[in-house]
Amino acid sequence: MSRVMTKASRRQFLIRSGAVAVGLFAGGANAAGSARIKLRDLYNKDLSFSDFALAADGQRVAVTGYMAPPLKAQSQFFVLTKRPMATCPFCNDGDEWPDDLLAVYARRIVDVQPFNAGIIASGTLELGDYKDPDTGFFSRVRLVNATFKRD
Amino acid sequence: MKAKTTLTAAVVTVAISLLTGPVVVAQDALPQADNAWMTGADAELQKRLAMQPNTNRAKNVVIMIADGNGVGTNYATRLFHGQTLGNFGDENVLPKESLPHLALVKTYNVNAQTPDSAGTATAMLAGVKTKAGMIGVDETVSRGDCSTVEAGKVTSINQLMSEAGKSTAIITTARLTHATPAAGYAHAADRDFEDDSTLPEGCEVPDIASQLISAMESGMVDIAMGGGRRHFVPDDVEDEDGKAGRRTDGRNLIEEAKALGAQYVFDAESFAAVDLSKEGPVLGLFESSHMKYENDRTDEPSLAEMVEASITAMQGNENGFFLEVEAGRVDHANHGSNLHRAMTDGVAFAEAVQKVIDMTSNEDTLLIVTADHEHAIAFNGYCGRGTPITGLCYGIDGDGIAHNGVEQLADDGQPYTVVGYLNGGGSILKKEKVAAEMMIEAEIVSEAADDTTGEQVAEASTDATVSTSDAIQAHGDRLVEDLLAQLDVTTEVDEDSGESSSYRWIGSRGPLTQEEATDPDYIQQAMIPRGSETHSGEDVAAYASGPFAHLISGTIEQNYLFNVMRYAATGE
Repeated sequence: MSRVMTKASRRQFLIRSGAVAVGLFAGGANAAGSARIKLRDLYNKDLSFSDFALAADGQRVAVTGYMAPPLKAQSQFFVLTKRPMATCPFCNDGDEWPDDLLAVYARRIVDVQPFNAGIIASGTLELGDYKDPDTGFFSRVRLVNATFKRD
Repeated sequence: MKAKTTLTAAVVTVAISLLTGPVVVAQDALPQADNAWMTGADAELQKRLAMQPNTNRAKNVVIMIADGNGVGTNYATRLFHGQTLGNFGDENVLPKESLPHLALVKTYNVNAQTPDSAGTATAMLAGVKTKAGMIGVDETVSRGDCSTVEAGKVTSINQLMSEAGKSTAIITTARLTHATPAAGYAHAADRDFEDDSTLPEGCEVPDIASQLISAMESGMVDIAMGGGRRHFVPDDVEDEDGKAGRRTDGRNLIEEAKALGAQYVFDAESFAAVDLSKEGPVLGLFESSHMKYENDRTDEPSLAEMVEASITAMQGNENGFFLEVEAGRVDHANHGSNLHRAMTDGVAFAEAVQKVIDMTSNEDTLLIVTADHEHAIAFNGYCGRGTPITGLCYGIDGDGIAHNGVEQLADDGQPYTVVGYLNGGGSILKKEKVAAEMMIEAEIVSEAADDTTGEQVAEASTDATVSTSDAIQAHGDRLVEDLLAQLDVTTEVDEDSGESSSYRWIGSRGPLTQEEATDPDYIQQAMIPRGSETHSGEDVAAYASGPFAHLISGTIEQNYLFNVMRYAATGE
């Protein structure tokens, strides 16, 4: 291989470098293990908890969805939604809150993901009302001690 | 044998042609004369030859609007509905598609090539095109400027119909205060003025929710059912679902409606218990915000059930009724690029249309079924018959009719769905951070590959005010900048923290299975990234039957529908 890079090969090299960097960035968390479920599996149609959710309370589960834009930077907390949300749905009173969502408390400070990138969040399912002392965010169900990766 | 038959047929044809002329010759001579397509089309031809314009006075007028359900979305719904019935989908006929008259409708607003639902609803329900975002006012009003509303008010079809002695109803699966239903009873400089909390300071035009209650009090609206309870309830009051209202003026409009004698219903049980023979208005508010998607519906009536209740309640009026029906959430599902829910709400709309057809007569009821605007929905090919319309495209079978079951692959080696959106949350482009390593690589590679060194640039420079080291640095920066620009890398600085970060919008399509693509929660792929997929300015169709429905034909401006409804009902 020539030591002098052509313009085209430079581009390819850089794209490869970028791909590696993105790969590292996306694969840093360990979310493997538990069976993948969807957000809807946690709820009945009337938004009461499903039998699955009741049975999995306290167990580790892996849930697919999207990371809603965070309420605040450098946080271990984010909200997993069924559909991609381009803007933080909880930052303005006037915005629509999705009905079915999952509060996620991660092990580490969250590396914010693109709003339209699917992720799998893995953690211990916790049912019951809880108000976050930092954000005031009220949740009925959470994933705690969670990790996540790109789907 | 075959040749003999043909010869015999030809002889017979010649004999008949002597008696009846060349038209019959052409028909009988065709080898496809007995083909089912040919005979079906001939039956259609005969039916249309027998059609006569219906010039009866319309006792009842029904306009049904599926929000965001243009010709493209409707095509998808036709196939989805057919496929749920077990056929290929293409051959399916939606209830509205059986209506005899059709026009293509131009939907733009006066200031918008791509329309919004407020401007389009005002066109249909008040007869004038206006600006995007406007409710029941003409284009002289500036958006958000309440002071110009009074002079710009236009009269709605609901008002005209109630003045003609008819009962009127507004039914929607969106909030009752949302753009499409609101244009039937309200005047507002901005569609967002759904309750008093969003009114600008000093605005003297009442909010949209309070205008609905005034319309019930005046008799302009007799029945209103949909979502949007929060706009009727004070912010310190919780509704039946434990959700707080949004009003800041302390008014509880539900209590005010009850005081007017209205029956109030809020869930499936109270809806079932409503006394439709009782005098006085009916107010149905089934959700704090929009009603649920049909796919997720529980403890609230379907659109068809609300239609049935409304017609039952109003059909005793000897002067007739005016009914406005909106399937409000086809639009929302399209905005979310979630085709499945657009389809299931589209089918619920079709069932509501069928209900109207079943409960009314062509003799005295003008029925118009239309949409307010289309979306940025698009269709891929080349898919065989029976390919699931929400799913992956299967190939065409040259030896048969049904698709060949082979997923069609794009040049990237991946399968693709029949339906995609030009923009939306399903965009394959994602805003990816560019790692620091890549930025360093860019610098090294750029400088190594450049034929000109920084020193040469510095020597050639005639600007004595720039030091050699600065010139070298600037040259390096330029090289990196050029390279990153080629790679579409953008650097932005956070206003609060001052930290800079670099990113690229990049992406590729991964593997996708038919099971994943046809999942009710699947988000269709899109090209341009947008959190909410957009409307488009494409035409919609208007289907019609009943008195003066034949006036709906050709390509029309959307506001013309108002004139047809008014003329059919009043002769004016």
